[in-house]
Amino acid sequence: MLEIKNLHVKLADEDRVILKGLSLKVPKGEVHAIMGPNGSGKSTLAYVLAGRDGYEVTEGDIHWNGESILEMPPDERAAKGVFLAFQYPMEIPGVAGLTFLRTATNALRKKRGEPELTTPAFMKLVKEKGDKLNIDIEMLKRPVNVGFSGGEKKRSEILQMALLEPTLCVLDETDSGLDIDALRIVSDGVNALRSKDRAFLVITHYQRLLNHIVPDKVHVLADGKIQKSGGKELALELEKAGYAGFTGKAA
Amino acid sequence: MNVAVMKTKSEQTLSLQAAERIPTLPGDKDVRRAREAALAVFEAAGLPHRRIEEWKYTDLRALLKDAASVTPQRSSDVDSKLFDLTGTKAATYVFVDGRLITKPKDHTIAGVTVASFSDEVSKNPALLAIELPETVDAGARSVIALNSALASDGAVITIAAGAAPERPIHLVFIASGAVAVRNVIVAGADSESTVVETHVSPTGAARQENAVSDVTLARGATLHHVVRTEAHEGSAALAQYLVRVCAGAHYKPFQLTSGGGLSRQQLTLTFAEQHASLDFSAVALARGAGHVDTTLVVDHAVPHCTSRELFKTVLDDRARGIFQGKVIVAPNAQKTDGKQMAQALMLSPDAEFDSKPELEIYADDVVCGHGTTSAELDPDLLFYCESRGIPEVEARALLIESFVGEAVEKIENEALRDALMSYATAWLRSAA
Ligand SMILES: Nc1ncnc2c1ncn2[C@@H]1O[C@H](COP(=O)(O)OP(=O)(O)O)[C@@H](O)[C@H]1O
Ligand SMILES: [Mg+2]
Repeated sequence: MLEIKNLHVKLADEDRVILKGLSLKVPKGEVHAIMGPNGSGKSTLAYVLAGRDGYEVTEGDIHWNGESILEMPPDERAAKGVFLAFQYPMEIPGVAGLTFLRTATNALRKKRGEPELTTPAFMKLVKEKGDKLNIDIEMLKRPVNVGFSGGEKKRSEILQMALLEPTLCVLDETDSGLDIDALRIVSDGVNALRSKDRAFLVITHYQRLLNHIVPDKVHVLADGKIQKSGGKELALELEKAGYAGFTGKAA
Repeated sequence: MNVAVMKTKSEQTLSLQAAERIPTLPGDKDVRRAREAALAVFEAAGLPHRRIEEWKYTDLRALLKDAASVTPQRSSDVDSKLFDLTGTKAATYVFVDGRLITKPKDHTIAGVTVASFSDEVSKNPALLAIELPETVDAGARSVIALNSALASDGAVITIAAGAAPERPIHLVFIASGAVAVRNVIVAGADSESTVVETHVSPTGAARQENAVSDVTLARGATLHHVVRTEAHEGSAALAQYLVRVCAGAHYKPFQLTSGGGLSRQQLTLTFAEQHASLDFSAVALARGAGHVDTTLVVDHAVPHCTSRELFKTVLDDRARGIFQGKVIVAPNAQKTDGKQMAQALMLSPDAEFDSKPELEIYADDVVCGHGTTSAELDPDLLFYCESRGIPEVEARALLIESFVGEAVEKIENEALRDALMSYATAWLRSAA
């Protein structure tokens, strides 16, 4: 289970406070959606979960499987099963997609005490997972994400997720920039990974994605806190009424 | 005071060594006379120093405190791991301490002749002389004169017109002390070939190499010229490439230079006829007190030529990287297309990168540009890698290698590209 307790986060080199006492529990096997207006701190939450520098946790804690992850460097969190599908996946000029995927896969296997994959075994796996996401091997011979369209970048994130087999999947606006076909491919990819051993935190600005990845719970993040939690119908309400009711308080 | 500049200790030693060596070097009395004349040119000018603009960052008078001694040839020093190019099927010629000692067993490649400079200069004294274009600076002239005085051997490669040998020709230069080598490469009309040079020294050897390659591309020729140079701490590698490119020819050099010692790789290229191109990429890696200098002068003397340069430098510790790139576009050289990019990756706050791009454009209908960047590893990219489970040390290595890889990728021969990348990777990972 993911347990976020009273999390306060500020920017490391500014006084700005972004998260102001956020609490949340996501049991394994469940998909929780976080919705909120732009700038409400959704990505900040995702980055703090993954361990990015530049943020300072001033209060509270994050537990994954009963263990605090706050002191762990990002690669160790990844070894514990944490995965973030980035809102803006990064381009790495000069590193071929396949090299990147194999380095990551084997680094994680090593840390998890599993044997490294041979090249043929790895290629077979990539091909199999890639086919489902409509990602051609040729595309992965190119440098990571360089020259990819927005949709290709998002699919490549989901491919990484499928290969690295995380147990806590955080998806940050994976739907943004996707057309309806790409949205379906990505959602199918995510749904295929749903299992009783995995927890998902799906961050989105729009309700649309949640028609495809149907959440068990929906939380509204505004003003640095979870303002409201409910079932999947909450997303539909938000779609109609907008976030005005929640952000109004900020004024 | 009106006194000639005092000679440095190494200049004095170089003069003494040269006077002693010249009578023992290959060539008849005409060659000997030419060598003595060249030595006089060197003695008058001395080692290049900082008051010569092109040598401002690489002051050899200051950097070469001692002249290395001339080591007698020891063929037992050959360690093939130093120059291995597995997978490339290269025809390899090994020069140890300035003498050709091994030729490939199966050395007949259709359309290719490789002779030793020492044999050729004995037959043809004119081979020693190099016609230097005006664009060669005074410092380089002095270094080249010293090379003419002392060149003991090298390769004379002729690619026949229309030949397209698949196998690369690989010249290996291993030296433990002072050495001067001279290569002459003539790529015949419409030929396409690959020449690889490897310049290395046994670890710890106080090698000082002065290498000159005189390169001519006839009409329509394509020459892939790949050079790998290691300059360990305490060793120095000076190289001058003089390249003349005729109509429609394509010169494609790649250089990988690494070490904690001193290196200067200087390429002077002249577009003598139209519709020719230069596609140059280079990687320089230095750590410790390493000093890596890549200097380029491209003379667009005629219209319709294209030059592309991509330089990557990785500097750690107190290392210093220098990139100087001068592109001259003559008044009549319309439709010149020249682009240059020099990028440095700084791994330590004490490293220094000096970049001096210069465009001297006298024509008006041209597209020319240059860019320089100097940056540390991108923390966002590091985070991205780490978030995928890649440990920081490995993530750093991956990103550094990718930076370098963009230049190495330009090598078209796949096996050669892999071999050069392996050398770069091995060097980068040998830091502990
Ligand atoms: N590294 C950062 N530097 C400066 N401001 C930041 C940084 N990260 C987040 N912020 C600010 O914090 C607020 C929340 O941002 P973010 O978490 O990206 O929101 P969301 O993802 O919900 O749109 C925004 O006002 C944003 O500008
Ligand atoms: Mg966001």
